Amino acid sequence: MIYLDNGATSFYKPQSVKQAVIKAMHQCASPGRGGYKAAQNAGKTVFRCRELAGALFDCLPDRVVFTSNCTHSLNMAIRTLVKPGDRVVVSGFEHNAVMRPLYALNAKIYIAGRELFDNKDTIRKFEYIVKQGVDAAVFTHCSNVFGYILPIKDMAVICRKYNVPFIIDCAQSAGVLPISMKELEADFIAMPGHKGLLGPQGTGLLLCSRLPEPLHFGGTGSQSALYEMPEYLPDRGEAGTLNVPGIAGLAAGISYILKTGTNQILLEERQAARAVGEFLGQNGFAVFLGEPQTGTVSFIPHTDCEHAASVLDRHGIAVRGGLHCAPLAHESVGTLDTGTVRLSFGVDSSEKQVFEVKKILKKVMNEL
Amino acid sequence: MKSCFITLPTLTAAQMAESQLRRSGIQCRIQRSPKWMEEQGCGNGITVPFDVFDKCITILKNNRIPYKKAYLKDEGGKMEVLEL
Repeated sequence: MIYLDNGATSFYKPQSVKQAVIKAMHQCASPGRGGYKAAQNAGKTVFRCRELAGALFDCLPDRVVFTSNCTHSLNMAIRTLVKPGDRVVVSGFEHNAVMRPLYALNAKIYIAGRELFDNKDTIRKFEYIVKQGVDAAVFTHCSNVFGYILPIKDMAVICRKYNVPFIIDCAQSAGVLPISMKELEADFIAMPGHKGLLGPQGTGLLLCSRLPEPLHFGGTGSQSALYEMPEYLPDRGEAGTLNVPGIAGLAAGISYILKTGTNQILLEERQAARAVGEFLGQNGFAVFLGEPQTGTVSFIPHTDCEHAASVLDRHGIAVRGGLHCAPLAHESVGTLDTGTVRLSFGVDSSEKQVFEVKKILKKVMNEL
Repeated sequence: MKSCFITLPTLTAAQMAESQLRRSGIQCRIQRSPKWMEEQGCGNGITVPFDVFDKCITILKNNRIPYKKAYLKDEGGKMEVLEL
Protein backbone atom coordinates (compact mmCIF):
# COMPACT_ATOMS: atom_id res chain seq x y z
CA MET A 1 0.00 0.00 0.00
CA ILE A 2 1.17 3.49 -0.83
CA TYR A 3 -0.02 5.42 2.18
CA LEU A 4 -0.93 9.04 1.46
CA ASP A 5 -3.16 9.77 4.43
CA ASN A 6 -0.57 11.07 6.85
CA GLY A 7 -2.86 14.01 7.56
CA ALA A 8 -5.09 11.56 9.44
CA THR A 9 -2.33 9.56 11.07
CA SER A 10 1.14 8.41 10.09
CA PHE A 11 1.10 4.73 9.24
CA TYR A 12 4.66 3.73 8.44
CA LYS A 13 6.44 4.40 11.74
CA PRO A 14 10.15 3.89 12.36
CA GLN A 15 10.99 0.43 13.70
CA SER A 16 12.32 2.10 16.87
CA VAL A 17 8.78 3.28 17.68
CA LYS A 18 7.38 -0.25 17.66
CA GLN A 19 10.32 -1.57 19.65
CA ALA A 20 9.87 1.16 22.28
CA VAL A 21 6.18 0.29 22.70
CA ILE A 22 6.96 -3.38 23.23
CA LYS A 23 9.82 -2.61 25.62
CA ALA A 24 7.53 -0.39 27.70
CA MET A 25 4.89 -3.10 27.86
CA HIS A 26 7.51 -5.46 29.25
CA GLN A 27 9.18 -3.09 31.68
CA CYS A 28 6.84 -0.30 32.71
CA ALA A 29 4.08 -0.06 35.31
CA SER A 30 2.41 3.26 36.15
CA PRO A 31 4.61 6.34 36.56
CA GLY A 32 4.56 8.11 39.91
CA ARG A 33 2.40 5.43 41.50
CA GLY A 34 5.10 3.65 43.48
CA GLY A 35 8.81 3.47 44.21
CA TYR A 36 9.43 -0.02 42.81
CA LYS A 37 11.49 -0.71 39.72
CA ALA A 38 8.69 -1.03 37.15
CA ALA A 39 7.09 2.23 38.33
CA GLN A 40 10.48 3.94 38.15
CA ASN A 41 10.98 2.60 34.61
CA ALA A 42 7.64 4.11 33.65
CA GLY A 43 8.56 7.43 35.26
CA LYS A 44 11.86 7.55 33.39
CA THR A 45 10.22 6.60 30.09
CA VAL A 46 7.62 9.34 30.40
CA PHE A 47 10.15 11.95 31.51
CA ARG A 48 12.43 11.12 28.57
CA CYS A 49 9.53 11.88 26.24
CA ARG A 50 8.89 15.18 28.03
CA GLU A 51 12.56 16.10 27.64
CA LEU A 52 12.59 15.20 23.94
CA ALA A 53 9.39 17.16 23.33
CA GLY A 54 10.94 20.07 25.23
CA ALA A 55 14.00 19.89 22.98
CA LEU A 56 11.93 19.79 19.79
CA PHE A 57 9.49 22.53 20.80
CA ASP A 58 11.76 24.72 22.88
CA CYS A 59 10.04 24.43 26.25
CA LEU A 60 10.63 23.00 29.70
CA PRO A 61 9.69 19.33 30.27
CA ASP A 62 7.04 20.16 32.87
CA ARG A 63 5.21 22.29 30.32
CA VAL A 64 4.43 19.17 28.28
CA VAL A 65 1.07 17.64 29.21
CA PHE A 66 0.29 14.25 27.70
CA THR A 67 -3.18 13.76 26.28
CA SER A 68 -4.82 11.11 24.13
CA ASN A 69 -4.81 13.14 20.89
CA CYS A 70 -4.79 16.68 19.52
CA THR A 71 -8.56 17.03 19.92
CA HIS A 72 -8.21 16.26 23.62
CA SER A 73 -5.44 18.89 23.87
CA LEU A 74 -7.51 21.49 22.02
CA ASN A 75 -10.54 20.85 24.20
CA MET A 76 -8.48 21.35 27.34
CA ALA A 77 -6.91 24.55 26.02
CA ILE A 78 -10.18 25.96 24.69
CA ARG A 79 -12.05 25.17 27.92
CA THR A 80 -9.32 27.06 29.79
CA LEU A 81 -9.36 30.23 27.71
CA VAL A 82 -12.91 30.44 26.37
CA LYS A 83 -15.97 30.91 28.53
CA PRO A 84 -19.56 30.56 27.26
CA GLY A 85 -20.43 33.40 24.91
CA ASP A 86 -16.85 34.68 24.55
CA ARG A 87 -15.69 36.32 21.32
CA VAL A 88 -13.09 34.16 19.57
CA VAL A 89 -11.18 34.76 16.36
CA VAL A 90 -10.17 31.78 14.23
CA SER A 91 -8.66 31.38 10.77
CA GLY A 92 -10.70 30.29 7.79
CA PHE A 93 -8.99 26.91 7.76
CA GLU A 94 -9.89 25.40 11.12
CA HIS A 95 -10.65 21.76 11.75
CA ASN A 96 -13.73 20.63 13.65
CA ALA A 97 -11.42 19.90 16.60
CA VAL A 98 -11.39 23.68 17.03
CA MET A 99 -14.83 24.59 15.71
CA ARG A 100 -16.92 22.06 17.60
CA PRO A 101 -15.57 22.88 21.07
CA LEU A 102 -16.16 26.58 20.31
CA TYR A 103 -19.71 25.91 19.15
CA ALA A 104 -20.33 23.80 22.24
CA LEU A 105 -19.36 26.85 24.32
CA ASN A 106 -21.67 29.04 22.25
CA ALA A 107 -18.70 31.27 21.47
CA LYS A 108 -19.12 34.21 19.08
CA ILE A 109 -16.79 33.11 16.31
CA TYR A 110 -15.07 35.60 13.99
CA ILE A 111 -13.36 34.15 10.93
CA ALA A 112 -10.23 35.91 9.74
CA GLY A 113 -8.53 35.16 6.42
CA ARG A 114 -10.21 32.82 4.00
CA GLU A 115 -7.89 33.28 1.02
CA LEU A 116 -5.85 30.16 0.37
CA PHE A 117 -2.06 30.72 0.31
CA ASP A 118 -2.49 34.46 0.94
CA ASN A 119 -0.60 35.27 4.11
CA LYS A 120 -0.91 39.03 3.69
CA ASP A 121 -4.68 38.76 3.58
CA THR A 122 -4.70 36.40 6.59
CA ILE A 123 -2.56 38.76 8.67
CA ARG A 124 -4.50 41.87 7.68
CA LYS A 125 -7.90 40.39 8.44
CA PHE A 126 -6.71 38.71 11.61
CA GLU A 127 -5.36 41.98 13.00
CA TYR A 128 -8.49 43.84 11.97
CA ILE A 129 -10.67 41.49 14.02
CA VAL A 130 -8.30 41.25 17.00
CA LYS A 131 -8.19 45.05 17.13
CA GLN A 132 -12.00 45.19 17.45
CA GLY A 133 -11.69 43.23 20.69
CA VAL A 134 -11.82 39.48 21.19
CA ASP A 135 -11.44 37.29 24.26
CA ALA A 136 -9.23 34.64 22.67
CA ALA A 137 -7.74 33.44 19.40
CA VAL A 138 -7.44 29.89 18.14
CA PHE A 139 -5.71 29.17 14.87
CA THR A 140 -4.19 26.32 12.97
CA HIS A 141 -0.56 26.25 11.90
CA CYS A 142 -1.41 24.38 8.75
CA SER A 143 -4.61 23.47 6.91
CA ASN A 144 -5.25 19.74 7.09
CA VAL A 145 -7.03 19.88 3.72
CA PHE A 146 -4.80 22.10 1.61
CA GLY A 147 -1.44 22.07 3.38
CA TYR A 148 -1.52 25.88 3.56
CA ILE A 149 0.97 27.07 6.20
CA LEU A 150 -0.50 30.02 8.06
CA PRO A 151 1.68 32.94 9.22
CA ILE A 152 1.51 31.93 12.89
CA LYS A 153 4.50 34.02 13.96
CA ASP A 154 2.78 37.20 12.75
CA MET A 155 -0.52 36.10 14.23
CA ALA A 156 1.18 35.43 17.57
CA VAL A 157 2.74 38.92 17.50
CA ILE A 158 -0.69 40.44 16.87
CA CYS A 159 -2.21 38.51 19.79
CA ARG A 160 0.54 39.63 22.13
CA LYS A 161 0.26 43.23 20.92
CA TYR A 162 -3.44 43.31 21.86
CA ASN A 163 -3.07 41.06 24.94
CA VAL A 164 -5.28 38.34 23.50
CA PRO A 165 -4.60 34.83 24.84
CA PHE A 166 -4.16 32.32 22.05
CA ILE A 167 -3.98 28.65 21.15
CA ILE A 168 -2.18 27.20 18.14
CA ASP A 169 -3.38 23.95 16.61
CA CYS A 170 -0.27 22.18 15.34
CA ALA A 171 -2.06 18.99 14.32
CA GLN A 172 -0.50 18.99 10.86
CA SER A 173 2.77 20.75 11.56
CA ALA A 174 4.29 19.05 14.62
CA GLY A 175 7.25 17.04 13.38
CA VAL A 176 7.20 18.74 10.00
CA LEU A 177 7.66 22.46 10.64
CA PRO A 178 9.83 24.14 13.28
CA ILE A 179 7.78 25.17 16.33
CA SER A 180 9.19 27.16 19.25
CA MET A 181 7.01 27.63 22.31
CA LYS A 182 9.50 30.18 23.62
CA GLU A 183 9.41 32.27 20.46
CA LEU A 184 5.66 32.08 19.87
CA GLU A 185 4.76 32.70 23.54
CA ALA A 186 1.45 30.96 22.94
CA ASP A 187 -0.74 30.22 25.92
CA PHE A 188 -1.18 26.71 24.57
CA ILE A 189 0.05 24.68 21.63
CA ALA A 190 -1.89 21.50 20.85
CA MET A 191 -0.64 18.59 18.79
CA PRO A 192 -1.13 14.89 18.18
CA GLY A 193 1.59 12.36 18.91
CA HIS A 194 0.52 9.97 16.17
CA LYS A 195 0.83 12.11 13.04
CA GLY A 196 4.05 13.93 12.18
CA LEU A 197 5.65 12.98 15.49
CA LEU A 198 5.35 9.32 14.44
CA GLY A 199 4.12 8.01 17.79
CA PRO A 200 1.34 5.49 18.27
CA GLN A 201 -2.33 6.45 18.17
CA GLY A 202 -3.73 7.46 21.54
CA THR A 203 -0.98 10.01 22.12
CA GLY A 204 -1.17 13.79 22.09
CA LEU A 205 0.54 16.76 23.69
CA LEU A 206 -0.51 20.09 25.08
CA LEU A 207 2.34 22.55 25.55
CA CYS A 208 1.33 24.95 28.31
CA SER A 209 2.53 28.43 29.21
CA ARG A 210 -0.08 28.58 31.95
CA LEU A 211 -2.09 26.20 34.09
CA PRO A 212 -4.86 24.52 32.11
CA GLU A 213 -8.32 23.84 33.48
CA PRO A 214 -8.48 20.05 33.70
CA LEU A 215 -10.93 18.22 31.46
CA HIS A 216 -10.61 15.08 33.55
CA PHE A 217 -10.32 14.89 37.30
CA GLY A 218 -8.74 12.06 39.23
CA GLY A 219 -5.55 10.54 40.54
CA THR A 220 -2.18 11.97 39.61
CA GLY A 221 0.09 10.17 42.08
CA SER A 222 0.75 13.52 43.75
CA GLN A 223 -0.88 15.55 46.53
CA SER A 224 -3.31 12.68 46.98
CA ALA A 225 -4.84 14.03 50.18
CA LEU A 226 -6.40 16.90 48.24
CA TYR A 227 -9.76 16.58 46.52
CA GLU A 228 -8.81 19.30 44.04
CA MET A 229 -6.48 18.71 41.12
CA PRO A 230 -2.87 19.82 41.82
CA GLU A 231 -1.95 23.38 40.94
CA TYR A 232 1.21 22.18 39.24
CA LEU A 233 2.12 21.22 35.71
CA PRO A 234 2.00 18.66 34.23
CA ASP A 235 -0.09 16.81 36.83
CA ARG A 236 -3.00 19.24 36.61
CA GLY A 237 -3.71 18.10 33.05
CA GLU A 238 -2.91 14.41 33.48
CA ALA A 239 -5.52 12.71 35.65
CA GLY A 240 -5.51 8.92 35.50
CA THR A 241 -2.97 6.43 34.28
CA LEU A 242 -0.88 7.66 31.36
CA ASN A 243 -0.52 5.74 28.10
CA VAL A 244 3.04 4.70 28.90
CA PRO A 245 3.59 2.34 25.95
CA GLY A 246 2.24 5.04 23.65
CA ILE A 247 4.44 7.69 25.22
CA ALA A 248 7.46 5.39 24.92
CA GLY A 249 6.72 5.04 21.20
CA LEU A 250 6.20 8.77 20.93
CA ALA A 251 9.63 9.37 22.47
CA ALA A 252 11.17 7.16 19.80
CA GLY A 253 9.22 9.05 17.13
CA ILE A 254 10.38 12.45 18.41
CA SER A 255 13.91 11.12 18.64
CA TYR A 256 13.70 10.14 14.96
CA ILE A 257 12.46 13.66 14.07
CA LEU A 258 15.27 15.30 16.05
CA LYS A 259 17.85 13.17 14.23
CA THR A 260 16.36 13.68 10.76
CA GLY A 261 15.40 17.34 11.18
CA THR A 262 12.08 18.93 10.31
CA ASN A 263 13.65 20.82 7.40
CA GLN A 264 14.60 17.60 5.65
CA ILE A 265 11.22 16.01 6.35
CA LEU A 266 9.34 19.04 5.05
CA LEU A 267 11.53 19.27 1.95
CA GLU A 268 10.92 15.66 0.91
CA GLU A 269 7.20 15.65 1.66
CA ARG A 270 6.69 18.95 -0.13
CA GLN A 271 8.64 17.85 -3.21
CA ALA A 272 6.54 14.70 -3.46
CA ALA A 273 3.25 16.56 -3.04
CA ARG A 274 4.24 19.15 -5.61
CA ALA A 275 5.36 16.57 -8.16
CA VAL A 276 2.12 14.59 -7.89
CA GLY A 277 0.01 17.76 -7.71
CA GLU A 278 1.57 19.17 -10.87
CA PHE A 279 1.05 15.85 -12.63
CA LEU A 280 -2.65 15.92 -11.74
CA GLY A 281 -2.88 19.55 -12.88
CA GLN A 282 -1.29 18.68 -16.22
CA ASN A 283 -3.98 16.04 -16.66
CA GLY A 284 -6.88 18.38 -16.26
CA PHE A 285 -7.72 18.24 -12.56
CA ALA A 286 -8.26 21.28 -10.35
CA VAL A 287 -5.33 21.05 -7.92
CA PHE A 288 -4.67 23.34 -4.97
CA LEU A 289 -0.99 24.13 -5.12
CA GLY A 290 0.64 27.25 -3.70
CA GLU A 291 3.10 28.71 -1.25
CA PRO A 292 3.68 28.22 1.60
CA GLN A 293 2.52 24.60 1.53
CA THR A 294 3.45 21.36 3.25
CA GLY A 295 3.36 17.86 1.80
CA THR A 296 -0.43 17.87 1.66
CA VAL A 297 -2.26 18.58 -1.58
CA SER A 298 -5.94 18.39 -2.51
CA PHE A 299 -7.61 18.04 -5.90
CA ILE A 300 -11.15 17.93 -7.23
CA PRO A 301 -11.80 14.76 -9.21
CA HIS A 302 -14.21 14.61 -12.15
CA THR A 303 -16.28 12.03 -10.25
CA ASP A 304 -17.47 11.98 -6.65
CA CYS A 305 -14.46 12.42 -4.36
CA GLU A 306 -15.29 9.33 -2.28
CA HIS A 307 -15.58 7.29 -5.48
CA ALA A 308 -12.20 8.60 -6.67
CA ALA A 309 -10.65 7.71 -3.30
CA SER A 310 -12.04 4.18 -3.55
CA VAL A 311 -10.67 3.80 -7.09
CA LEU A 312 -7.24 4.75 -5.81
CA ASP A 313 -7.64 2.36 -2.89
CA ARG A 314 -8.36 -0.50 -5.29
CA HIS A 315 -5.07 0.29 -6.96
CA GLY A 316 -3.09 0.40 -3.74
CA ILE A 317 -3.08 4.10 -2.89
CA ALA A 318 -4.61 5.11 0.45
CA VAL A 319 -6.03 8.65 0.31
CA ARG A 320 -8.93 10.46 1.90
CA GLY A 321 -11.88 11.98 0.08
CA GLY A 322 -14.62 14.21 1.48
CA LEU A 323 -14.49 17.15 3.84
CA HIS A 324 -11.66 15.95 6.09
CA CYS A 325 -13.51 17.14 9.23
CA ALA A 326 -12.83 20.70 8.10
CA PRO A 327 -15.98 22.14 6.51
CA LEU A 328 -14.78 25.66 7.29
CA ALA A 329 -11.66 25.21 5.17
CA HIS A 330 -13.73 23.78 2.30
CA GLU A 331 -16.19 26.65 2.61
CA SER A 332 -13.32 29.15 2.46
CA VAL A 333 -11.99 27.62 -0.76
CA GLY A 334 -15.37 26.84 -2.35
CA THR A 335 -15.15 23.05 -2.22
CA LEU A 336 -17.82 22.44 0.41
CA ASP A 337 -20.21 20.92 -2.17
CA THR A 338 -17.71 18.76 -3.99
CA GLY A 339 -15.21 17.92 -1.27
CA THR A 340 -11.70 17.05 -2.43
CA VAL A 341 -9.35 14.11 -2.57
CA ARG A 342 -6.42 14.75 -0.28
CA LEU A 343 -2.97 13.31 -0.72
CA SER A 344 -0.83 13.82 2.36
CA PHE A 345 2.73 12.59 2.13
CA GLY A 346 4.75 11.30 5.04
CA VAL A 347 8.29 10.47 6.09
CA ASP A 348 8.37 7.54 3.66
CA SER A 349 7.94 9.82 0.65
CA SER A 350 10.56 9.38 -2.05
CA GLU A 351 11.13 9.79 -5.77
CA LYS A 352 10.31 6.12 -6.19
CA GLN A 353 6.99 6.60 -4.38
CA VAL A 354 6.16 9.58 -6.58
CA PHE A 355 6.99 7.51 -9.68
CA GLU A 356 4.67 4.71 -8.51
CA VAL A 357 1.86 7.12 -7.66
CA LYS A 358 2.09 8.77 -11.09
CA LYS A 359 2.11 5.38 -12.78
CA ILE A 360 -1.09 4.34 -11.00
CA LEU A 361 -2.74 7.72 -11.58
CA LYS A 362 -2.01 7.44 -15.29
CA LYS A 363 -3.63 4.02 -15.34
CA VAL A 364 -6.84 5.05 -13.54
CA MET A 365 -7.10 8.64 -14.76
CA ASN A 366 -10.34 7.99 -16.68
CA GLU A 367 -12.05 6.64 -13.56
CA LEU A 368 -11.31 9.65 -11.39
CA MET B 1 27.56 11.06 55.77
CA LYS B 2 24.89 13.68 56.22
CA SER B 3 22.40 14.11 53.41
CA CYS B 4 19.38 16.21 52.64
CA PHE B 5 15.97 15.28 51.31
CA ILE B 6 14.17 17.94 49.27
CA THR B 7 10.49 17.42 48.56
CA LEU B 8 8.98 18.50 45.26
CA PRO B 9 5.34 18.84 44.21
CA THR B 10 5.39 16.42 41.27
CA LEU B 11 7.40 13.51 39.98
CA THR B 12 8.24 15.61 36.91
CA ALA B 13 9.65 18.36 39.12
CA ALA B 14 11.79 15.76 40.90
CA GLN B 15 12.99 14.44 37.55
CA MET B 16 13.80 17.94 36.30
CA ALA B 17 15.70 18.56 39.52
CA GLU B 18 17.64 15.33 39.12
CA SER B 19 18.46 16.16 35.52
CA GLN B 20 19.65 19.71 36.31
CA LEU B 21 21.71 18.64 39.31
CA ARG B 22 23.39 15.86 37.33
CA ARG B 23 24.31 18.41 34.67
CA SER B 24 26.04 20.34 37.45
CA GLY B 25 27.90 17.22 38.55
CA ILE B 26 25.73 16.57 41.61
CA GLN B 27 24.58 13.01 42.07
CA CYS B 28 21.11 12.68 43.50
CA ARG B 29 18.37 10.10 43.82
CA ILE B 30 14.61 10.37 43.43
CA GLN B 31 12.58 8.71 46.17
CA ARG B 32 8.97 8.62 47.22
CA SER B 33 8.57 10.93 50.20
CA PRO B 34 7.83 9.28 53.56
CA LYS B 35 4.13 9.60 54.32
CA TRP B 36 4.68 11.84 57.39
CA MET B 37 6.42 14.48 55.27
CA GLU B 38 3.56 15.03 52.88
CA GLU B 39 0.66 16.92 54.42
CA GLN B 40 -1.09 16.87 51.03
CA GLY B 41 -0.54 13.19 50.38
CA CYS B 42 1.81 11.30 48.05
CA GLY B 43 4.90 13.06 46.80
CA ASN B 44 8.46 12.70 45.63
CA GLY B 45 11.78 14.06 46.70
CA ILE B 46 15.47 13.98 45.94
CA THR B 47 18.32 12.99 48.23
CA VAL B 48 21.46 15.11 47.87
CA PRO B 49 24.72 15.31 49.87
CA PHE B 50 24.53 17.88 52.67
CA ASP B 51 27.72 19.68 51.61
CA VAL B 52 26.13 20.76 48.30
CA PHE B 53 22.67 21.50 49.68
CA ASP B 54 22.89 25.29 49.22
CA LYS B 55 24.18 24.84 45.69
CA CYS B 56 21.28 22.48 44.94
CA ILE B 57 18.71 24.99 46.15
CA THR B 58 20.32 27.69 44.01
CA ILE B 59 20.17 25.42 40.96
CA LEU B 60 16.50 24.65 41.58
CA LYS B 61 15.72 28.35 41.98
CA ASN B 62 17.68 29.33 38.87
CA ASN B 63 15.86 26.73 36.81
CA ARG B 64 12.48 27.62 38.28
CA ILE B 65 11.92 24.10 39.55
CA PRO B 66 9.33 24.21 42.33
CA TYR B 67 10.28 22.57 45.63
CA LYS B 68 8.50 22.39 48.94
CA LYS B 69 10.56 21.52 52.01
CA ALA B 70 14.01 20.22 52.87
CA TYR B 71 15.13 17.85 55.64
CA LEU B 72 18.54 17.13 57.07
CA LYS B 73 19.24 13.45 57.59
CA ASP B 74 22.05 12.62 60.01
CA GLU B 75 24.21 9.49 60.04
CA GLY B 76 21.72 7.79 62.36
CA GLY B 77 18.83 8.40 59.94
CA LYS B 78 17.17 11.05 62.14
CA MET B 79 15.56 13.82 60.10
CA GLU B 80 14.91 17.48 60.89
CA VAL B 81 13.40 20.27 58.85
CA LEU B 82 15.83 22.71 57.29
CA GLU B 83 15.00 26.39 56.99
CA LEU B 84 14.81 27.46 53.37
